[in-house]
Amino acid sequence: MSTIAVPIAFQTRLVRTELVKGLRLMWRRRSMVVAATIVYALTYLGISLFIGGGHLVKDLMVRTLPALLAVVVASVAAVEGTAGIAEEINGGTLEQTRLSPASPQLQALGRMTALAIEGLAAAIVLGILFVFAVGLDINPHPAALIPAVLTILDALGYGLIMTALVVRVASIGAITHVGNMAIMAFGGMLAPISVFPHGVEIFARFIPTALGVQSINTTLAGHGLGASWSDGTLPWLLVHTAVVVTAAFSLYVINIRHAQHEGGLSPR
Amino acid sequence: MKTAIALCNEIRKGLRFAWSERLQILIELPMFAVFIILLGPLLGQGGNIASGRVDWSLNSQTTSAMIVWFVPFIFFYMQVVKMFWRLLGEIQAGTLEQVYLSPLPPWLVAAAGRVAAAFLETLFVAAASYGIVSVFVRIQLHWSAAALLPAFAIMIAAVGLSLIIAGATLVYKRIEIVNDGVLMMVMIFSASALPLIQVPNWWAVASHAFPLTDGVGSLYNVMIAHRSVTSAWGIGGLVPLFTVSTAYLLAGIGTFILGERVAKNRGTLGRY
Repeated sequence: MSTIAVPIAFQTRLVRTELVKGLRLMWRRRSMVVAATIVYALTYLGISLFIGGGHLVKDLMVRTLPALLAVVVASVAAVEGTAGIAEEINGGTLEQTRLSPASPQLQALGRMTALAIEGLAAAIVLGILFVFAVGLDINPHPAALIPAVLTILDALGYGLIMTALVVRVASIGAITHVGNMAIMAFGGMLAPISVFPHGVEIFARFIPTALGVQSINTTLAGHGLGASWSDGTLPWLLVHTAVVVTAAFSLYVINIRHAQHEGGLSPR
Repeated sequence: MKTAIALCNEIRKGLRFAWSERLQILIELPMFAVFIILLGPLLGQGGNIASGRVDWSLNSQTTSAMIVWFVPFIFFYMQVVKMFWRLLGEIQAGTLEQVYLSPLPPWLVAAAGRVAAAFLETLFVAAASYGIVSVFVRIQLHWSAAALLPAFAIMIAAVGLSLIIAGATLVYKRIEIVNDGVLMMVMIFSASALPLIQVPNWWAVASHAFPLTDGVGSLYNVMIAHRSVTSAWGIGGLVPLFTVSTAYLLAGIGTFILGERVAKNRGTLGRY
């Protein structure tokens, strides 16, 4: 085996260990994952009835359903990510994770992959449920996978930023709530961001997952990736995702190192 | 006397916690006002939104009703969410078992420590939200002391719901997403008490089982519709209002005691 292959294999094993740990923790609280999925379904149903004035407007739901799925992935990543780290700080086990040969970024990668699986599992169930139960006319287009993957990365980046803030900011519960509400309100779950007033639409484009949902909607409407690229949504989505993911990993590493230095990895 | 001192100590502790979380409150403050301003023009506009035509003007009557809907919800949020996070923090830090040193029952220690703080936080956030929204549209409310009656019932119901969540937290620990989702459903279903949208019959019937619906209905009767607060039946009637609130409080106390018993038997009250 080459000298490069050994560290790569070792690092892959470290990430896999974190991933397996995350999945085992998820399995332990599987009843809560199921309950949360049901609550998301009822919330979306309620909001759709709200906006529809007591009726389900299928033409609108076709365009807001991708936003629900993005909200689920982002919320799971943010809430479970922050709660997991807060739990480890309060329990005094976050310090112990630094005994591992895995770097903070590898640990974050493993954790976020587990949360992505949890969020995606809930999102897929909800997507299938609404498409078949309500009879939404969504034509799955393979091209939509590209903005969908970018949206998931964007959502996970947002979740990791929230997770990274836990070790530095005591008010993280409030920040996560506000962030999740902002994604719900401005990310396209209430209404597609294209119907917002111009200034609000520009603001919404900075909110994680909003551009991705818009790009998915354009692609699913049969206009193809070309339309999404030419109207600027897809290029901006690429930039947004790259910036959010890079900022998230950098912030996580900086904050963990800072906390380690200042003694902030255990209860304050 | 000993009980009163212990109760005052818990309230004082709750207020100190609230003060230490003042930055959180400031961060959350704009969330409610933004939601009212954004949701107002979208209510019942599904067909127009689907065709790309939305009138973004705010209607005074609708927005006033939304204020009556949101302010009690803010209290629910402050009571339920913050009590959950505090309790979880105590479980994780291993300090929860210390509540058994108090002469008060543990459910009272948990609830009393939060309710006064939640009340003050709600006053602050509601006043700020009112101020922000009234910049955009005139809010027309009929201020009356009679509104204190539904406000009291709402507080009882919120304490009950927070104890139910707390009881579940003692057993299942990390239930933050379920906690947030339950609050969202409480908010959505309570809207059926207001003439904002036409809700399906099943929704109207189911909404009575939620802790905020009749409280919001009663507040709407007093502060917007100029109706008497003492009517017995209908949405916001005294009978459903106090029946539901009392039922939630009793269910909350019962759930907390049950959760506590399960956690004690498992030996997980203060540790995982």
